[in-house]
Parts: sequence; structure tokens; C-alpha cells
Amino acid sequence: NIDPESLLPKLPSLEELKPFPTTCATLFRGHDGRVRSLAVDPSGFWLASSGDDGTVKVWELLTGRQIWSVRLGSEEAVNVVRWRPGTEAVILSAAIGENIYLIAPPFVDPEIETKGREVLDAGWGYAANGATINATKEPAIQWTRPGSRLEDEGVLVKFSLRKTVKVISWHRRGEYFSTVCPQAQSSAVAIHTISKHLTQLPFRKLKGLAQSASFHPSKPIFLIATQRVIRSYDLSKQELVKIIQPGARWISSFDVHPGGDNLIVGTYDRRLLWHDLDLSVRPFKTLRYHKKAIRAVKYHQGGLPLFADASDDGSLQIFHGKVVGDMMENATIVPLKVLRGHTVKKELGVLDLDWHPSQPWLVSAGADGICRLWT
Amino acid sequence: MAMETIIADANGIAASTSPSQVRVQLSTRYPDISLPENPGPILVNTNFRRYALSTLVNTLLQSERPIPFDFLINGTFLRTSLDEYLTANGISAETTLAIEFVRATIPPLYLASFEHDDWISSVDVISESSPAGKWAGSAGARRLGQERMLSGSYDGLLRIWSMSSEVLATSPSAGSGGHTSSIKTAKYISPSHVASAGLDRTIRLWKYSEDPDGFTASISPQVELYGHKASVDSLAVHQPSSRLLSASADHSLGLWLTKRSDAPAAPTSLLPSANSRSSKRRKLGPSTSTPQRGPLSLLRSHTAPVSDTIFAPNDHTVAYSTSWDHSLKTWDLPTSTCVDTRSTSHSLLSLTALPSLNLLAAGTSARHITLIDPRASATTISAMTLRGHTNAVVSLAADPDSNYGLVSGSHDGTCRVWDVRSSRSEKDGRVGESLYVVERESMKGKGRKIGGEGVKVFGVAWDKGVGIVSAGEDKRVQVNRGKGMVAEKSA
Ligand SMILES: [Mg+2]
Repeated sequence: NIDPESLLPKLPSLEELKPFPTTCATLFRGHDGRVRSLAVDPSGFWLASSGDDGTVKVWELLTGRQIWSVRLGSEEAVNVVRWRPGTEAVILSAAIGENIYLIAPPFVDPEIETKGREVLDAGWGYAANGATINATKEPAIQWTRPGSRLEDEGVLVKFSLRKTVKVISWHRRGEYFSTVCPQAQSSAVAIHTISKHLTQLPFRKLKGLAQSASFHPSKPIFLIATQRVIRSYDLSKQELVKIIQPGARWISSFDVHPGGDNLIVGTYDRRLLWHDLDLSVRPFKTLRYHKKAIRAVKYHQGGLPLFADASDDGSLQIFHGKVVGDMMENATIVPLKVLRGHTVKKELGVLDLDWHPSQPWLVSAGADGICRLWT
Repeated sequence: MAMETIIADANGIAASTSPSQVRVQLSTRYPDISLPENPGPILVNTNFRRYALSTLVNTLLQSERPIPFDFLINGTFLRTSLDEYLTANGISAETTLAIEFVRATIPPLYLASFEHDDWISSVDVISESSPAGKWAGSAGARRLGQERMLSGSYDGLLRIWSMSSEVLATSPSAGSGGHTSSIKTAKYISPSHVASAGLDRTIRLWKYSEDPDGFTASISPQVELYGHKASVDSLAVHQPSSRLLSASADHSLGLWLTKRSDAPAAPTSLLPSANSRSSKRRKLGPSTSTPQRGPLSLLRSHTAPVSDTIFAPNDHTVAYSTSWDHSLKTWDLPTSTCVDTRSTSHSLLSLTALPSLNLLAAGTSARHITLIDPRASATTISAMTLRGHTNAVVSLAADPDSNYGLVSGSHDGTCRVWDVRSSRSEKDGRVGESLYVVERESMKGKGRKIGGEGVKVFGVAWDKGVGIVSAGEDKRVQVNRGKGMVAEKSA
């Protein structure tokens, strides 16, 4: 006789899985309208946020003090703000409407500010050559200077992608970043080279509406999510590697585990899916914890076994997600905590989230106009 | 002298033996409250609590006005009945309990608020008993009632206040030699010298002068110190050796000389003129000619922002530091080397010393305070955990009147007063609870604020004469009577 209880996997207790964020430590109030995007800087000291008010703001993470703000426009939302990886130079990238802006913000020390400006200025020589890289009917995308008002604020580069930009993701070395403009069809996914001020459109034959894209954390692999599937491409061989099938109706976002072999996917049809890329193209686990669409999903990138999602129901769900090196053993996934506090406004709840690079802390961006730090 | 056993009830009157009683031996280490003669072991009811014992001691003292007392058994305050204490600690009622009595503290009373235009990050007090007041000796010591308070604000300005809430002097603005961004820390070096630092990455030394009539006073820049590459969030001062320590978000500690003539040159790459954009901005204001200097050394070993630093209480060649990297480090300053690292489970955000206990108190992002014995001989990482705050603990100060007391300032919008003897044993070690919670007077009755919004406390100081001085997001410095917390008369 076998006790059926003994066959169930033993889940660790919540106490054993500490630390993870449990309470709201700081509110960041200052945006007029929805906060669309936010990101903690690579040093873990600052929070950048952006939103419907056309501004990018930077805050002291622990106190919630706003220390810098720049207005990129007044008609459109700043849908994305992301830091360039690395701490030797500090660079912010932001997308407002169809435009991308690259910023060397002035609140850092003179050495770092100078390095940031050098990184952004190095490509002007290439741009002057007017290289037309892609042989298409459209003229090449030109990187330009945004004008003296913005340049005085540290906003040094501007270019247009002709359709609304929804996603920016950086390559870990900070030399490349990708963008996604879902409505741009064959030119939806672009890859940009900082040192050459160069925009390339290598995925012209993409099937479906692009939703998100990301570089693999360690291999020369690039992943693109359309509404229903995620395709992974080998950038060196320029070929399709595999098609990941979450089985969802509409993917909103995805994130690759820092170890590189696992992936989480969030969907507008309220599902969070965990894929083990070695195992199958189908999800290893489906998690349904939200009443409304999932807008954003993120793994902790600093070595803690944590991941989280943000939903239009106004809550964030925190999970323990432990990946083991052994191919035979599956990841341990335990729901840890629901973080509530954001107010749902016009059917929209939490629009973005980010983890601190090393601490078990999370930040969230609300349609209620407020960002929150959870510790 | 023959000791006879006294049988006492709550009124201290002899009563007949009841079924549950225990012998107690009362003593105190304070001469002014010691019993006129040793009463020997006293048989008391085990249902006695603190109040009944307090009444008993007052009867034995024949006090005209009763003094509220607290009772220590094995170094811990009695917070239950004796019966519950005996049961919880597995002690037989046959034992004679040694009980030490001390004056009970009374709640810190609100005295005054000093209003500012912006968030206040930091406060310090100079008085005859404050460190900078003592270093100055009789020449510079201020008579009681002539204390001065220093505040550093997010508006980038330092202010010096009389204790009657008047601003005596304000530091110059950014264009006139002042900080170009928010001040995060400010400290007295002497009655006429202060240091400040903050988000503009500089440490600035200032001269404060005040006419004897007290009507005209000024803060003028003396030296700008360059070396840090990120926000400078805490300073520690040791005036006798002219040394200054800084804790920075750039992961380093700075060691600096406060004497301009001996200080090394400033690193030119960090000066504002090193960057064309900044120098353009500088032209907006009148150019100033404050001397610029660099660090004696930068101490690197932490792997995340350094949150706080202090000189070792009895040895200014040793420093301690806390960091977001979860560690507390001990530094040998003459050789600029890290000699010890204690790793904890949480980011450490504030630090103070309890010298007579050989303990350091570190405030954490995880809402508690951990007490650490930094000596090499210590075997456990945490000697005790103080629990009660509901947000990050970002500022700490030791009780100037007690070896066991400290105050903490938290982003939850409160200060808490602790006595490390008020603690109990739990499965993960000794846990202390606060004696008192000091709320923000500006928010009284408005309920708890989510995320400490509008009420976060950023800085707290505790002066023997002035009391507990705290400041934060409510733009007010708040003074609560600390000295009087050790009760002189009935509460
Ligand atoms: Mg502090």
C-alpha cells in the first residue's frame, strides 16, 4: 500500500522561500496620467518611469524623491523607458509615439556623463556617410539630433520608426537594442547599433503581428513573440531555431530566464506560462491567477529564484521559480504573494514591472498614475 | 544584620501566606534610588506584575511621590506576571528571583516642530553634551538652552536653528557656492564648523559664525571635497583627529581631512569644470572660489551602495560601515583595509554603536534592526533583532542617558524608542520590542500612510539636553523630550 500523499511533490514552505517582496515600501507620485513603463537602473539606485504625460522621470528608488524629469512631447505617451545595461556609462532609451530618444541624463558624475555622451556621439560619423543598408523602397532610418531644447537636457539622439513603438529591449553588452512596432508589419522588429547609429530591419518576412522581442541572455539568439507563438532565431546563422507554442490567444509579453533555458509568457487571455526550452515547445506549466489580462512578466535577473507578473486586475503575483541544472529535474514553481494596491482605472491596472538588479525588490507602474516599490 | 522574610502584597503590607508565592531579592545599581537597607528576600504573590512590584519598591523607599519602576530579571524586562515569567522560563517557585529595578521610561513628549520648505534628510544637534560640543571643550560649549540644531534639506540648503524655532542662518544657494542638489547628510564638527553632503556627490565644509547677540549669523563655504561618483548619504566626524568619513552610493567609503591645508588635491576629472555641459550650467551663477580638495583614501570592498558609517566609539582608527550588500564591515583606517565582514540576510541602511554592550545596531530594509557584536570573538551574526517598524529603518541614534537605549527613524513615518533589555527569546533568537512609538505630529490622527507617503523619517538625533530630534518627508524637524523619558516624577 502506497500513501498517495507521499507521491505528491514536497513544496517548500513560504518561510523557507524568503526573501520576497511583501509590502509597499514607497510610492512614486508625479506623473499626470497613466504610467506606462518603468525600469530600475543597472546600479540599483534609480528608478526611471514614463507615461501618458509625455515625460520620462527618474526617482531615488528608496525614498521616492523625483530627481529628474524631461518632457519628450505633449500629444503622445512615452510607452517605454529602458536603461542601457552597464554602469560605466548611464544611458536611458525611451519611445514616445513613433520616436526613439537616447538620453545621457545629467544627474550622474562628470566622468560617467562624459562616457554616456561619448557612447551616443560616436555614431555621428557613420550617420553622415548616409549608408543605405536595407535595400527596400523606404529610405533608411536616420538618427538625428533632437534640437537644442532637448539636447540641453541630455537628450542627444532621436529617430523615427514610423509606427508607434511598444517595446525596447537591450542586448546585455549595450551595443544593440531592439524595438517592436506592432502595426508596422514587415518592419515591426528593428535592431539598432549604437556605435554606428544604424537601424536594421532583419525580420521582414515575419508572420503575424509582432508583440515583443528580446535578446537571449547568453547565446546569439533573438526571440520574437507574435500574437500566438514565439520564434527563436540564431543571429549568427540567420536562421529560425524553433517555434515556441504557449497555446495562448494573445501574447502580451515574455521574459527569458537568466540561465537561458526557461521562458515565461504573459497573455491578454489571463494566463502565465512557463516554458522549459529543453523539454518542449509547449508550456511546462500554466498558471491562472488573474481575473484580467496580464500585461508584463519578469524574472529576477540578479540570482534570486523569483518571477512576477502584472495584471489589469490591479495586482501583481510573485512566484518562486527555481531552475535546476539537471535536465531530468523540472523547475520548482510556488506562488508566493499577491501584491495589491494599484487602483484599476478605465479597465487598466498594472502596466509594467521590474525587479531590482540584486535585491528582492519589485517596482510596478500603474494606470492610476503611481509607481510603487515593493520590498 | 539578620534578615527576616517580609511577606508583602500589592500595597507592601504584610499579608498571610497564599498558595502561589515566590521569594524575590530586589536591588538596583543606581545610588539615588537604592533601598535604605537591604530587605533580604521578600515573599510576593506570583500574580505580581510590574505595577505591583513598583508599588512595593516605592513603599520600601518611603517615596513622597511614587516613582514608576521597571524590573529586570536575568537582563530582561518583566512584561508579564511573575507566575507567567516562571512558567515561560521553566523556573521553580522555590527559587529566590534576583530582580533589578530601574526607573521606568515615560512616553517621549512632543515639544516643537521646525518647519521647512522641502523634505529634510538629516538633523544634528550641538550642545554641551553632544560629541562636537564636548570636543570643543569649555571654550566652545554652549550653555544649556543655547543649543543649536543643524538641518540638511532636499532643497540643497543647510539651516542652523535656535531651539526657539528661529532660523539663524541658511547656507548659500547653488550659484553662490552651495550644494547643487539635495543634501542627504549634515553633521557638526564643532560649534563653528559643519559638514554636509548629498546627491551632488560633494562633501562641503562650512564655517558658521554667530554674533554674541545672536542676531546675525552666517554659514560660509570653506572647502569642497571631491572623490565620490554617486550620492553621499552619510557622514561621520572625529574632530580631534580632523578626520571625516563618508558613505556613498558609489560602493565606497571616503576618508577625508577636515583641515584644508593638509588635504590632498581634488581629482580634476570629477570637478564640475571637467564637463563642458556642467561648466555651461555653472556660468549661470556667480563664480565662486571655494578651495577644492580630494580624499585621503577611498575604501573599497562593499559591492553595493554604502548606507552609513561611524568611527568606532573608543578607537578613531577603526571604522564600521553598512551597505545594501547586506554586510557590516570593519575597517582599519591607517592602512585603509577591510579587516572584517559580517554578512546578514538583508540590506543594511543605518548604523549606530552601543559602546558599553560592544554592540552595533544596524537598521534594515526588511523593517527590523539587527544588533551585531563586531568583535572577532563573537560567534553569532545577530545578537538580537528589534521588531516593530513596518518600513525601512534608515536612521539610528543611541540614548545619551542609557547604555541600553536607542532610537530609530523609519520610512513608516515613526521613530521607535528601544531598550535592548526589553526582549524575549524566540525560536530564531532574542527579539526586542519598542518601548515607545513617536508618530509625526504633522500627521496626528490621519491614520497609517501606505508606503510611508508624506511621513517617512529620514534622520534622527538624540541629545541629552534637547531630546529626540527627527526629520523627514513632512518637511518638519520634530523635537520630543528624550531626557525626561527617564522619569523624575510620577507619570
Ligand atoms: Mg542615515
